[in-house]
Amino acid sequence: MSKRRGVSGIRLLAARAAIRATVRLLLAAAAAALIIAAAPVSVVAVSGSAFAWLTGWPPGRLYRAALCCVPMLAVWLAVTAIATRSASQVAAAPYLAWLAMWHRGAAGSYPAAAAVIAPPAIPAGLAAGGLAWSYRIRSMEAGSGGLSPDAAVSFDLRQWRHQARSARARISAPGAVPLTTRSEGIVAGAVIRAVRHPARPIATIPYARVRSHQVVVGTTGTGKTTLLLRLWAGFMATALLRHAAGRGKAPLLVVLDCKGGADARRIADRARRVLRLAGARSTAIWPDEASLSVWALPPEQLTTTLVDLIEHGTGAAAYYADVMEAVVELAVSAPCGPPASSADFLARLDTGWLSLAYSSGHEAELALVRSAARQVGDIGLRFRTLLRRLGGGLDGAGGFGDADAWYCILEGTAEISVAQAQARALVDLLASYAAGRAGPLEGREILLAVDEFSAVSRRLPVWQLYERARSLGLAVQVSAQSWQGLAADDDERYRIAAAADGGIWLLRTPSPEAVAALAGTRKVTDTTRRLIGVPVWSHRGTSRIRLAPVVDPDLIRALDVGQAAYIYRGGVTYVQVKRLVAGPAALPAPHRPPAPAPALAQVGATERTPGCAEPTDPAPRPPRPTRPYRAAATSPEPLPDVGALLDDAFGSEPGS
Amino acid sequence: MYGVQLDHLAAVLGVSESRARGIAAGWRSQRYAESARLGPGGPWTWLTRSGLTACGLPYAPAAPALGRLAHIRAVAAVRLALESASRYATAGGYWRSERRLRARMGGRVGLREHIPDGEVHWPDDAPAPWAGECWAIEVELTPKTARRTLAIMRELLTRTGDYGGPAAGTAAAGNQSPGPPRHARVLYLCAPAARPTVARAREALGAPGARIEIRQLPPGAAMAPPRGQAAAPPRGQAAAPPRGQAAAPPRGQAAAPPRGQAAAPPRGPAAAPARGQAAQ
Repeated sequence: MSKRRGVSGIRLLAARAAIRATVRLLLAAAAAALIIAAAPVSVVAVSGSAFAWLTGWPPGRLYRAALCCVPMLAVWLAVTAIATRSASQVAAAPYLAWLAMWHRGAAGSYPAAAAVIAPPAIPAGLAAGGLAWSYRIRSMEAGSGGLSPDAAVSFDLRQWRHQARSARARISAPGAVPLTTRSEGIVAGAVIRAVRHPARPIATIPYARVRSHQVVVGTTGTGKTTLLLRLWAGFMATALLRHAAGRGKAPLLVVLDCKGGADARRIADRARRVLRLAGARSTAIWPDEASLSVWALPPEQLTTTLVDLIEHGTGAAAYYADVMEAVVELAVSAPCGPPASSADFLARLDTGWLSLAYSSGHEAELALVRSAARQVGDIGLRFRTLLRRLGGGLDGAGGFGDADAWYCILEGTAEISVAQAQARALVDLLASYAAGRAGPLEGREILLAVDEFSAVSRRLPVWQLYERARSLGLAVQVSAQSWQGLAADDDERYRIAAAADGGIWLLRTPSPEAVAALAGTRKVTDTTRRLIGVPVWSHRGTSRIRLAPVVDPDLIRALDVGQAAYIYRGGVTYVQVKRLVAGPAALPAPHRPPAPAPALAQVGATERTPGCAEPTDPAPRPPRPTRPYRAAATSPEPLPDVGALLDDAFGSEPGS
Repeated sequence: MYGVQLDHLAAVLGVSESRARGIAAGWRSQRYAESARLGPGGPWTWLTRSGLTACGLPYAPAAPALGRLAHIRAVAAVRLALESASRYATAGGYWRSERRLRARMGGRVGLREHIPDGEVHWPDDAPAPWAGECWAIEVELTPKTARRTLAIMRELLTRTGDYGGPAAGTAAAGNQSPGPPRHARVLYLCAPAARPTVARAREALGAPGARIEIRQLPPGAAMAPPRGQAAAPPRGQAAAPPRGQAAAPPRGQAAAPPRGQAAAPPRGPAAAPARGQAAQ
């Protein structure tokens, strides 16, 4: 009995297996028949999916391609309607085209067959290909696709390679990646991959984001300078166009390169050429070719800046700092006006000069001079040393308004204390310039880009710079080689990152976790359900939602040169940055006529109160190593005669 | 340069026309160049895709447009004349052709934007008073309207940016404080018929007109007349080459002219005429 039961059970199992196999066979045959019957659509779908796989396209691009073909379909239907004048014929047009395709194919005229079926088959095929590709991606993301358990990982790595290759191809195509767009966007390069950002072929940053605070983190040799140059040129070109159209103020780009050295000079030269292509009339390189005047600051600001330039400690040293501030205040606020130059200022740090200046009707100040008489000489000595070390870069006649762009090189590596003082003075000068031109007409749209500012920011923390900049309408772009290089401690770093409204650019860096975490997480589904058909999932198994980081730190560590991740509002776009090639340096250098005498010096000479002592020049004025910078202008000089060359080439003119 | 006619090719290579014909045939056999008789005068030669690739030129291959043959020839003659001047070589001038400028713009030339027929760049350290300048070259065979000529002059004189560069021409578009102009001067090479219009436009410009030089086209710039027509010189142009250098042999050529040619023109390579052109 039991033996009979066992045999029948085996038979039942065999029958069920045979039925299942038959059903699967039938389904596969039906699918194959459908694929063959719809051969044109199948061919386009397979080609589209394969192309998307090869180039790393997202499915959306196949859908958009299908949409772009819809006009062709509409025209074809319209022509059919006009030719047949029958609605039923129009409705049957795809079927008739399909029939005609098979007939022509059977007759051996394959091109004609393809032409007949193309209008309905191409959009339908692209859409089907998009669906198939989307299904593939989703199944791989869920971990249920692929032949092996780790297929999802290798699929993702392979897709990254494909996407990066496509992006590289796109940026190498001439004209494919412009600098700016019509909608006033700044193009950084080609998109490799986007997570929670729209997947577009070109990575475009709206102008408003460049006018907000941004952070750039990337080690040396990862393409950080290339990215920065592109952003600066994009800012300059867009702002100039907006200004020309009356929609914005004239731009001003100020770059503080806090590393210095020969490398900074090379980048400065490259920046000048790139910015010239972007429309900048003049780029001043400080302190090598242009100088600024710290004496142009308002007296109250000048006192603070001068005092902050000098190192002074805490505790007992605070007393000395107070005395120094009082003496500097006396020298700057003398009745005869503020000092016009270093020499003028140093001459005032003298008890005799101060006594004479405040001799009539300034009893309180005179008492101060007398009480600080013992320290005045020491203070003068310290300032003399400091101003000598600072060089002529802050003692010239120029101002930030003289050029469209300033590239300021601070020797933060070689002379850190000097660079710190220079950074403080430059930021104060820029803040004063921005505050003094707050009017709607004379203002400038200012972008302050600081590279490795933390190296010189001991006297002006970056977050303080951010807050000052925000109040003045300046945009600050801070770049560093690492997260740690952004600021001295984590609090300050997070404060900087939180204030980066314009987004964070992350290039290859050894420890990107902290920055990557700023992008947040996204929901990802892991499932153990099996895919038992197309598109049927088994109900056995479970799915689990987990949070995965939007930015994969391992991916950041593996970024190639020129690849960057742009983090903005919880999403990331991986970009292959397009290198901006500067034009040949064959054009003449901007004409720089000799600058007039400093305006402040003239004021100081003419507006001295009667009776106020003329300061004695304590030492012969040192020659200025830099020349004052003036914006380039059309040369008023007559052009040199080229008649001899033209006579030589084309013959002399009749009558000449 | 979109293409070159045989006599100019011979001048560039410093060989006789028959030798230049042989060289062009060699290029053709290697598929570097195409050659055909497109109009009056000698055959034209232009580079194919392979030839452009071999020369490292990023241009789209195309035969010279039939409607522009006369202009292309005139520009080539101007370039050759300029490049054969000793002062040009001494100063190290560099000719940047219209084709290169257009290639830089990548097909984004605006409808109303004017591209000069060439630019000449002089290095900053050139031993010449015009060192560091950039000149725009315009070749005028037929007169445009004075208004159009004036507009072109203004555009060339006020342009600040490079061609194909981002935001180039911003200053020209109405910026209140334009930067230094790109072209220090504009050199007009005119056929006699076009010269009065160009001169009038220069007068209308006022002071900036001082940056415009007007010269006659060099000998050999005009196309050879079609067969059956006499090789009469154009209006106002002397029958003999100017400066009395007509007897000077071209560079690399013997004093005896190639067959069918009259005495060689001044500094032959630049102005070597095709058959029948010697009378111009």
